[in-house]
Amino acid sequence: MSQLKDPIREGLARGWKVMGGPRGPVPERITCDVAIIGSGAGAGITAELLAKAGLQVVIIEEGPLKSSSDFNQKESEAYPSLYQESAARKTEDKAINILQGRCVGGSTTVNWTSSFRTPASTLKFWQDKFGLSGYNVEALAPYFAQAEQRLNITPWLVPPNENNDLLRRGAAKLGIPASAISRNVKGCWNLGSCGLGCPTNAKQSMLVTTIPAALDLGAQLLVETHAESFELANGKVTALLCRSRQSSEEKTGLAQVEHGQSAIKIVAKHYVLAGGAINSPAVLLRSGAPDPHGVLGARTFLHPVVMSSSVFEQRVEAWNGAPQTIYSDHFLDTQAVDGPIGYKLEAPPLHPVIFASTVPGFGQGQHDLLKSFPHNHTLLALLRDGFHDESRGGQVKLRGDSSAVLDYPLTPYVMEGGRKALLSMMEIQFAAGAKQVLPLHEMAQPYTSWAQARDAVNALPMKPMLTRVVSAHVMGGCGLAGTERQGVARPDGVHWQLENLSIHDGSLFPTSIGANPQLSIYGAVNRLAQGLAKKLTGRDVTLA
Amino acid sequence: MQRRTLLKLGAASAAVLIVAGGAAALLQPGLKGGVLSDSGREVFFAVGRAVLDKTLPANEGARQVALQGLLTRVDILVQSLPHHAQAELSQLLALLASTAGRRTLVGLSQPWPEASIFDIQHALQDMRLSSLALRQQAYAALHDITAGAYFSDPSSWPLLGYPGPLKI
Repeated sequence: MSQLKDPIREGLARGWKVMGGPRGPVPERITCDVAIIGSGAGAGITAELLAKAGLQVVIIEEGPLKSSSDFNQKESEAYPSLYQESAARKTEDKAINILQGRCVGGSTTVNWTSSFRTPASTLKFWQDKFGLSGYNVEALAPYFAQAEQRLNITPWLVPPNENNDLLRRGAAKLGIPASAISRNVKGCWNLGSCGLGCPTNAKQSMLVTTIPAALDLGAQLLVETHAESFELANGKVTALLCRSRQSSEEKTGLAQVEHGQSAIKIVAKHYVLAGGAINSPAVLLRSGAPDPHGVLGARTFLHPVVMSSSVFEQRVEAWNGAPQTIYSDHFLDTQAVDGPIGYKLEAPPLHPVIFASTVPGFGQGQHDLLKSFPHNHTLLALLRDGFHDESRGGQVKLRGDSSAVLDYPLTPYVMEGGRKALLSMMEIQFAAGAKQVLPLHEMAQPYTSWAQARDAVNALPMKPMLTRVVSAHVMGGCGLAGTERQGVARPDGVHWQLENLSIHDGSLFPTSIGANPQLSIYGAVNRLAQGLAKKLTGRDVTLA
Repeated sequence: MQRRTLLKLGAASAAVLIVAGGAAALLQPGLKGGVLSDSGREVFFAVGRAVLDKTLPANEGARQVALQGLLTRVDILVQSLPHHAQAELSQLLALLASTAGRRTLVGLSQPWPEASIFDIQHALQDMRLSSLALRQQAYAALHDITAGAYFSDPSSWPLLGYPGPLKI
């Protein structure tokens, strides 16, 4: 357990209004000005701005409130407590494993801090295809700048760890440009445990920035409280129905505790849905929200990720040091946005559980790879989905128990991009001096030369399940559009058919971003929430 | 087990049940009270022997201890899964533990406890490369849960050469 100062525990001691789970029961009925569903990137920014405008805000988070004192850098505790479905959320056909946060701060509590403004080519596509003329580089620039200042997003000047430097060196040998990634950190210890909750509060997540700011201004936070559905009447939301869970803290040992649940009704003047992609469209689906054009939950994107694992003579220690500090957009920038699918290259951190469950196969081959852990370097490619007719993303659906599931077909167009990405990553790894390279595919073997690897990957069937595909970026499903026919939300974030409901999260994006999405959410929502504050109160507010 | 949800496993599992000549109600669930049932333990014990073959301690006594540790960690992992995932896993294990399911979906003629490591690995390899989605999904679930659970405990980290997180 961290012995450092814990701003969340200090805030609770100061009298923050936090209820639910171990923080005590939630009243059956709550009235407020604005109910915000979620506490991640979009919700956090919105909560701070609306609280500053003097509005009574209630934040509803289905995950627990955990903070630096709890963050012990162990996967066995972080995945069950901080991630959706214990970090094992999967698409309906099980072909893609999705990492998504489920705790106060949402994915910002567990992300790897990579911060990019929305690429100009992505915004141009939205302007041209979705009637979003206001979403341009110039108009968004001041909102990005404010978010960057608020969250201390700056270029990371510390030398990259070996894991990232291998990407830089390998790319340089091949004449492929690679650059440093900006990070939202302040006084980072370079531990490498960002994905397990920052134990030093250096990461400027929503957990330690906007949510505390809103709570200091009197906002209420309901934790371990699940937003079930809206009550609707006459084109408006009239109430939000939630279920508050009994504390998971009460579980002891292996004994199963029946979770008590209580129904809660929240009545607000305005509602902001910011539960993140998959979850936000699911709330609307459960509510039977109007969807006259059949777009709700559709066009959900994942940046499907393929990976290449390699072994070096020297120690790499991919668990050690700031994760993802070097990237290359070479394979995004060198082809048309709507041509063959482009991809962004990054070097993810590795920890035992995620490494061991990803090492393919069993027996001697698997054992050798497991033993290579300190020398292992993995590259990942984020495929830019959503810009082509054969990349229409997935559809959010509800299971029989009303939980959300994403049906995401991996089309041949996407999978061919995966093949190219595997080839690019392997070539970079060999150029950086790898002894052996293994593309993560069930039919691949470790290869010891680039020529051998290239020929093998060119012959692999690029099929879902055979190819290991993961995602940490869920986007879309409540898309923005300039016309009602094309999207769920208007350009100002308000639902096309429900006038007192705004959507303020990554589910708004009409395509994937083509970059790690957190700053895209901060920037876009910063503008939407300032507009909403003005509309509701007449006041101009900005992030601190 | 709910027959309605079992049927969601698809045509392949339905075919298995027809082959078995039995009904869903006759299968033993793979999870009981939120942890592995006896039949679920049998499947994971055998899969653990095969998947972690070279990774488990060579000494038989230590090997048994490590496998029991694996089952405890699978129980912990299972408890942290949402209800729908627990239900699916329970159904999957029920199928794999049944004689018909073991023969058809896994391709293993002998009961799990009696099958050799070689035979289980051979069966897993067939599932891994199968053209049948259910067999591939079953392989992925067994592989990822086994490897992930085993290395979730610090006692397994020395094999990886992982020193554990930095004390702060």
